[in-house]
Amino acid sequence: MTDMRLQYQRHGLYDPSQEHDACGIGFVVNVDGHKSHTIIEEGLTILCNLEHRGAVGGDRKTGDGAGMLLQIPHAFFQETNEFALPDPGSYGVGFLFLPPSASNQAREMAEQILYAEGARLLGWRSVPHVPSVLGESAVKSLPDLWQLFLAYDGISGDILERKLYVLRKCLENRARELGWNRSDFYIPSLSSRTIVYKGMFVSGQFAAFYPDLTQEIFTSALAMVHQRYSTNTFPSWSLAQPFRFIGHNGEINTIRGNINKLRDRNAALSSPLFGKDIEKLFPILDPSASDSACFDNVFELLTMGGRSMEHTMMMMVPEAFGLKYHISRDKRAFYEYHMTIMDPWDGPAALLFSDGIKIGAYLDRNGLRPGRYVITRQGKVVLASETGVLPIDPRDVKEKGRLAPGKMFVVDTERRRVVKDNEIKAHVSRWKPYRRWLEENKIELKGLLQVPGQAGSENARLPQLKMAFGYTQEDLNMIILPMVLNAQEPVGSMGNDAKLAAFSDQPQLLYTYFRQRFAQVTNPPIDPYRENLVMSLSSWVGRQHNIMDESPIHCRQLKLSHPILTDDDIERLKQADLQFLKVVKVPMLFASHSEALEQGIHRLCLEVESKVDAGNSVIIMSDRELDQEHAAIPALLATSAVHHHLVRRAKRHLTALILETGECREIHHFATLLSFGASGVNPYLVFEIIRNMRDKGYIPVKQSLTDATLNYITAVNKGLLKIMSKMGISTMRSYRHAQTFEALGLDRNFVDQYFPGTHTQIGGAGMDVIELETLLRHRRAFQPADRSADSGKYHYRHEGEDHLLSPEAIVSLQEAVRNNDYAAYKKYSDCINTKSKQLGTLRGLFRFKPGSAISLDRVEPEEQIIKRFVTAAMSFGSISKEAHETLAIAMNRLGARSNSGEGGEDPERYTVLNNGDNLNSKIKQVASARFGVNSMYLINSEELQIKMSQGAKPGEGGQLPGFKVDKMIARVRHAIPGVMLISPPPHHDIYSIEDLAQLIFDLKCGNPQARISVKLVSEAGVGTVAAGVAKAKADTVVISGHDGGTGASPLSSIKYAGSCWETGLAETQQILEMNGLRNLIRVQVDGQLRTARDIIIAAMLGAEEFGFGTIALISMGCIMMRKCHLNTCPVGIATQDPVLRERFTGKPEHVINFMRFLAREIRELMAELGFTRMNDLIGRRDYLETDTAIEHFKSRHLDLTRIFFMPDQPDGIKHYCTTGQRQDRSSSLDKNLIRSARRTLEGGQPVTLRRRIRNNHRSTGASLSAELSKLFGINGLPEDHITVKFQGSAGQSFGAFLAPGITFQLEGDANDYVGKGLSGGKIILKPPKGSQFLPQNNIIAGNVCLFGATGGEVYFNGMVGERFCVRNSGAIAVVEGVGDHGCEYMTGGRVIILGKTGVNFAAGMSGGIAYILDTTQLFDTNCNLDMVDIEVVHEPDDIVFLNNYIVRHHRYTGSPLARQVLDSWEDMLPFFVKVLPVDYRKALERITSQTSGDEDSVTMTEEVFT
Amino acid sequence: MGKPTGFLDYQPEYYLSEAPGERIRHFKEFISLPAPEAFSRQGARCMDCGIPFCHSEYGCPVYNLIPEWNDLVYRDLWQEAYNRLEQTNNFPEFTGRLCPAPCETACTLSINDHPVTIKNIELAIIEQAFSSGWVIPKPPGNETGKRIAVIGSGPAGLAAAQQLRRSGHDVTVFEKSPMPGGLLRYGIPDFKLEKWIIDRRLEQLEQEGITFETNIDVGEDISARFLVKSFDAILLATGAGEPRRLEVPGADLAGIHLAMDYLTRSNMFVAGKLGETELITARDKNVLVIGGGDTGSDCIGTANRQGARHILQVEILPKPAEHSKPCNPAWPGWPNIMRTSSSHEEGCEREWGIATRSFQGDHHGVKRVHFNRVEWIAGKNNGNLDIKEIRGSGFSREFELVILAMGFVHVEHNRLLKQFNIEFDQKGNILTDARQMSTVAGVFAAGDAAAGASLIVRAIYQGRRAARAINAYLGR
Repeated sequence: MTDMRLQYQRHGLYDPSQEHDACGIGFVVNVDGHKSHTIIEEGLTILCNLEHRGAVGGDRKTGDGAGMLLQIPHAFFQETNEFALPDPGSYGVGFLFLPPSASNQAREMAEQILYAEGARLLGWRSVPHVPSVLGESAVKSLPDLWQLFLAYDGISGDILERKLYVLRKCLENRARELGWNRSDFYIPSLSSRTIVYKGMFVSGQFAAFYPDLTQEIFTSALAMVHQRYSTNTFPSWSLAQPFRFIGHNGEINTIRGNINKLRDRNAALSSPLFGKDIEKLFPILDPSASDSACFDNVFELLTMGGRSMEHTMMMMVPEAFGLKYHISRDKRAFYEYHMTIMDPWDGPAALLFSDGIKIGAYLDRNGLRPGRYVITRQGKVVLASETGVLPIDPRDVKEKGRLAPGKMFVVDTERRRVVKDNEIKAHVSRWKPYRRWLEENKIELKGLLQVPGQAGSENARLPQLKMAFGYTQEDLNMIILPMVLNAQEPVGSMGNDAKLAAFSDQPQLLYTYFRQRFAQVTNPPIDPYRENLVMSLSSWVGRQHNIMDESPIHCRQLKLSHPILTDDDIERLKQADLQFLKVVKVPMLFASHSEALEQGIHRLCLEVESKVDAGNSVIIMSDRELDQEHAAIPALLATSAVHHHLVRRAKRHLTALILETGECREIHHFATLLSFGASGVNPYLVFEIIRNMRDKGYIPVKQSLTDATLNYITAVNKGLLKIMSKMGISTMRSYRHAQTFEALGLDRNFVDQYFPGTHTQIGGAGMDVIELETLLRHRRAFQPADRSADSGKYHYRHEGEDHLLSPEAIVSLQEAVRNNDYAAYKKYSDCINTKSKQLGTLRGLFRFKPGSAISLDRVEPEEQIIKRFVTAAMSFGSISKEAHETLAIAMNRLGARSNSGEGGEDPERYTVLNNGDNLNSKIKQVASARFGVNSMYLINSEELQIKMSQGAKPGEGGQLPGFKVDKMIARVRHAIPGVMLISPPPHHDIYSIEDLAQLIFDLKCGNPQARISVKLVSEAGVGTVAAGVAKAKADTVVISGHDGGTGASPLSSIKYAGSCWETGLAETQQILEMNGLRNLIRVQVDGQLRTARDIIIAAMLGAEEFGFGTIALISMGCIMMRKCHLNTCPVGIATQDPVLRERFTGKPEHVINFMRFLAREIRELMAELGFTRMNDLIGRRDYLETDTAIEHFKSRHLDLTRIFFMPDQPDGIKHYCTTGQRQDRSSSLDKNLIRSARRTLEGGQPVTLRRRIRNNHRSTGASLSAELSKLFGINGLPEDHITVKFQGSAGQSFGAFLAPGITFQLEGDANDYVGKGLSGGKIILKPPKGSQFLPQNNIIAGNVCLFGATGGEVYFNGMVGERFCVRNSGAIAVVEGVGDHGCEYMTGGRVIILGKTGVNFAAGMSGGIAYILDTTQLFDTNCNLDMVDIEVVHEPDDIVFLNNYIVRHHRYTGSPLARQVLDSWEDMLPFFVKVLPVDYRKALERITSQTSGDEDSVTMTEEVFT
Repeated sequence: MGKPTGFLDYQPEYYLSEAPGERIRHFKEFISLPAPEAFSRQGARCMDCGIPFCHSEYGCPVYNLIPEWNDLVYRDLWQEAYNRLEQTNNFPEFTGRLCPAPCETACTLSINDHPVTIKNIELAIIEQAFSSGWVIPKPPGNETGKRIAVIGSGPAGLAAAQQLRRSGHDVTVFEKSPMPGGLLRYGIPDFKLEKWIIDRRLEQLEQEGITFETNIDVGEDISARFLVKSFDAILLATGAGEPRRLEVPGADLAGIHLAMDYLTRSNMFVAGKLGETELITARDKNVLVIGGGDTGSDCIGTANRQGARHILQVEILPKPAEHSKPCNPAWPGWPNIMRTSSSHEEGCEREWGIATRSFQGDHHGVKRVHFNRVEWIAGKNNGNLDIKEIRGSGFSREFELVILAMGFVHVEHNRLLKQFNIEFDQKGNILTDARQMSTVAGVFAAGDAAAGASLIVRAIYQGRRAARAINAYLGR
């Protein structure tokens, strides 16, 4: 299996480093340390109850891995072993996975090493196991399972643990020397305290596989469990969790940087605890293992080195400690101090950790993974991803809680205590006098990063420098100027159809070969605007010291609050003359002739190294001194080359790299420089240009030069936050070095040498081309030219970059569809195909292998082909009503499918028109904002598409500005006219792959007939995500190219985020095939698909359906204005302005003609190639080859063979979806509920039902609601018509999409997503009878409750988790306390909170009202006041409303808190505050002042939005 | 970009014209540009399209960076606007007055609205540039030492000469007429282009170091061999001088003139270079202009100014559709619609579908002209219309002056071309390859001589392209 993987990697697009995992985690522990077998049984129960969070592979039996960390069962081993064991704690036990073919040899090796290390072998134990319970591929890869017992005489406790750690490292290193890799030889645990049982099974198979665990005598006081969900299905026994210390649910986004930063630290490591042994510990981590495994390696190193586990955790995953958080000064100092030692491991993470004595849990700063705990009166603590995983008597519950963002929770079995966050951190923060150290040692430079002075030293050379660095008019007008004027990054629309850097004839900057990576599915992007309190751009520069140690010297570094330096800052740095801050400048230049660049870089590396050796802690690399004989080394190449040179020489931590470069101007440029190793950048030429543009009058005089410069810097910083956040990274210091880019069109050897660790899938330009491009620019600067070339990168220019859609192509196509003229269509298609053959696109480099032509009539009919066509998602809101409906009519007439986009759909469109036309979009999109997603919306679809990302701006949110929200759009989106509507970057119910599986399950329940599709954007690794999507049981996966159109997106995203669909699609097809998943799922592709040639290529690469966005718009009259974001579309398509909408002339016939022409052309091409059925050519990349006839100075280096790779498949396996998914909804209660309510649904009397419910009963109510909506429409049934009284712990999505007339009452508690998409129903949650705790102090429901609710009521007798009522647009909720980010992005409805709120309340809240009982009068410190006002409650309407609903709350739940509030109403009322969005107030006033609000047209703003 | 909603907020404003009755009293320019504020509004109407069709092959033949200077004018950055305009167009003062402005019919706004008044803006920019002293000679930084001969000093020759000179070559322009300018000087009447405008530009060219050799008919006065010997490259920009002739009975009668003869004499007379006796005058005459194109219009304008009694213009093609809306029905293509030029406004009768059958007259000259009406029917070989005489439609009218303005067929096949042994294309124009080189190495051709009679702006573009090609050729 291993070999197969390597082969896949070598020849195809598969890359194991792209694999992701996510999971369910949990632990159970006796606080007093009492060991029992019950704990193990309970651990297994937890695992079984988390099984839905794991996944199985293509054989439907091989689990992705499960495991358990336990204390060493001394008694058990004593009894089962034939050899004697010393006292517990004085010997070590290792669990070893050995190669079956060389098991004896491996054990011999182990014994040799063991003796060499001075240990004494006690004996071996072959671990009993039952392979027959496993899936086929798990058995194939089953290792030999052995336990090793050994002792170091006279040594125990921490010293023994350290010895065992060293021993394990020695064993691993020896194994590596013998050629065994991680899958051959692996040690799950080697400790005197803990032992880890794990393997490739699902939890249910666990105990059956390891009979040890069923032995009564096998006892432990604690059990940590982990159920893995991996995106691939290659069995990997070693990657099952827990590891030696931790179990991780989540993903480390910055792993590449974290690894790099540690790899070079070997030389600087020392610890008196290890002495000379420390060298045996290298390498500290195995970069080929998973992110979680690497984390475990480092965690282990640091704790073994003497830090406590809690300390290590705080150091590796610091909570947010920005100024917006009110936290202890010592704690803030602790974090700041540790910034100088280690950069954060950033990414969503819930972490469990244990050393066998203490067991704890920790959540990262964003709190994106769930963690719920129960403390019982009998002294047990259960913590897991979900509540209800162990049955607990309500009377026994002492406390129910959740892990909050950045909070830690530890059970210490030695001290027999539960230790909470405050106590832990207060202790750790004062372990050493960090605050004083920091105050006394950190370096400050006066005036640094303050008001910039005048640029201007380069004025005379300005034109020359601009040429040398390739500045174009577009750079000035479209990039720099908007940044200066608006202090934000420029925005554009309609995607990118210009040539990629890899294919362009114009000399490209190296940056443009790099594509931004982004989070999709396996981890969430962050909202850098609404949640910026977790984000930070600050970092330290200077010399770093031994990470095993702590001292005042460690923090003798300089803090940069952001990475953009002005010319003055460079001066200040240069003049700094301090003992610990030695700054030196080195020229970043090379001799300006060919074959000199490589040498120039080499020299630069050596020079920097020698400066480091000379004690410099900051090195400024500068290209200011360029002249005719000396050209600038591309700054990115210089940065990464020097960075990796220093890494290889183990000197990287000794210095910071600062760039002084004229080359860098776009936000993308800054991002790449920082990501590849720079600490700061001074874009001096931009500052010169700003000055020059101001002199010339481009910048208004009233804007001072200082303001202009600061605006630019602000725009860059905002843009950097956005680029970081789309990858889910929140801090600059962990983003730096993280290399979150992939190369497109760069040579593999070149990348391996200068950008190691970066993906480059198709090879391409190497040193020679990069040098040539640099010299072309450089020479131009020193030669007279008749004119500066137009770049035409964004807008078409005659002599600029080629665009796929030429003027001629558009004109021909419109002529064709309007006159039904196939000849004109062929003219269009020639334009496109020629363009793309001239290297516009990757597919332009392909050609078909000649087939044997058949006659046209043997090819399947047009209608069959057209069925595979869909229009890409375009929301009503981004395009006009007329355009949106025209598309729907056209696609419905064709029997194809249109896509609603994310903006909801007018229910009137669900009814077919009298003339037979159908305006209903068959595909309905479910996007992050969930506009209009209710039960009716779901049931009126044939396909539900979950948009994870979109081509033009993957990983980003968007907003519809208030002026675009007219009456109609507001109605469809359940909002109020004039109120801004925000689409968050992440789906707040999808933070990882198992969450996606849950949403798919929700939607399946919400409409059992609909297919579920998941839309992804192409990037390296998208194939593994697609495999995860297939395992989440989606019916279709959509692969979008990076280049797709858009209503509005930052230009840097349009140009640089994501990759081509060709590679993404090919990777998807390959990985689905390798994993045996292709038959389960359909694959759709979109992104600049234009002609039959495109379609056939896409089909051969693996797509069976095809999406059209831009080209469908063109056929309706779009002329690529690229003004969608300004609402000024002059042809009435991308606008809501009624005057402009009248200019729309598109007809359904136009779209129909286009689709028919395309199908006709496809048939012709199929006949030529000899295919009768489309299915026969799907996935047949063996019919494609590289077009060798294309000669281009860059294309010569491209290697497309990996795209065409076909993994070996069993005979008869098709390359397309044959069987489809088997959706298992047997765990749902709904079937039973529907049966019981059948009579009521058929018009009978109201009914009340009673049910017990468990945590694996998920999405309860969704299918029932679907039935009800089908029968009774949008208004449903009268209140309480169907009442269900539940008892127990409800699974996720309790009451999802609950329809009007249904009431769910739950006695117990619930998991995440209660009332997701609530559509009018009522949900009541209260603690079980007999509970002893005070409800308002306990957690009754999980995170993200009422996400996207559109109506209904909810009453929670207790507190809930993070992100309550996110995107609520109509529901009313009463709750007794909420976590962070409450009411985020809310646009309607009302929320009453009778207790505490977390931070960032009301962020992005543009509508609705929240009332908070603020007894501490500190609520405003937790509230995000950007968009809302806080008022006292004095209007009679408000008072009546509050009173009514608190009365109801009390009636429904018996809440003691409600009782108390009502009993002293007059005294309590003054403590209520009302949170009202500013926009919403204005909109409401408009509505009340004028019944016909349409005349009061909202003034058009010129605000740039994204 | 200018103002996103400018096209909705502002109405188009055009240049001001003297009333027809007033302007026919003189030969001077009769348009004047509105104040600069008006241009700010007009620039604001530009939408800065993602695909600016005005700048595509459907629009401006010289690929002016129209959206860019529109925006700069909107922002009142006139000098920057001039810098951008100058990037692509050597002589905006000619095109800004004379171009039929395919940019405006291709303007995206003209899909359903008034296009941006691009041509006016162009003219405003260049006049602002001249009056502000921004139009200065830009001699090359260093000399290449290469010598280049440009034959012909029309827009193609001049544009090429300027580009070549600025690249550092030694450029000599040969012109057979007394003054450089070609058709601009001799073909276009003053009321459309006053000749000082040409002189103003020639001054710049001379100061940049271009040598003008006028009154030299290459091929007659100097030989092709001499050229080849003396120059490193030769550019033929002699125009398409061969007029289309009307071969009907009586065509050789006095009083029947080729439009070019008529206009040239008129222009020379206006310039004071010709006596009244040599002038062909329309004073008090019934004038027939045969041909409905731009040259025809120029003849009408000239005849009216000379005091013609009555003018009839006949065109053999059918009457185009009337189109009163401001938008372009054939967007972005050139619409075949009924157009009324400023000369038409000054008074004339127009007829379409008329074939001239014969001229009748005596030794004093032409007296009467016989016509037939014709119709156009779908032809046998696809697409092309065939002409068909309408039976019994013959009629005749009396005229004392007939001007033949039926266009030009191709370059004059003169001695020079014969000496070079140049090959021609099917239409009789100089055959060139993709690099504008003729079949003779080192001999290039540009403008109407290579492409057939066309717009001034195309000639400028061809001249620039030829210059680039020559640069590449010499650099090799």
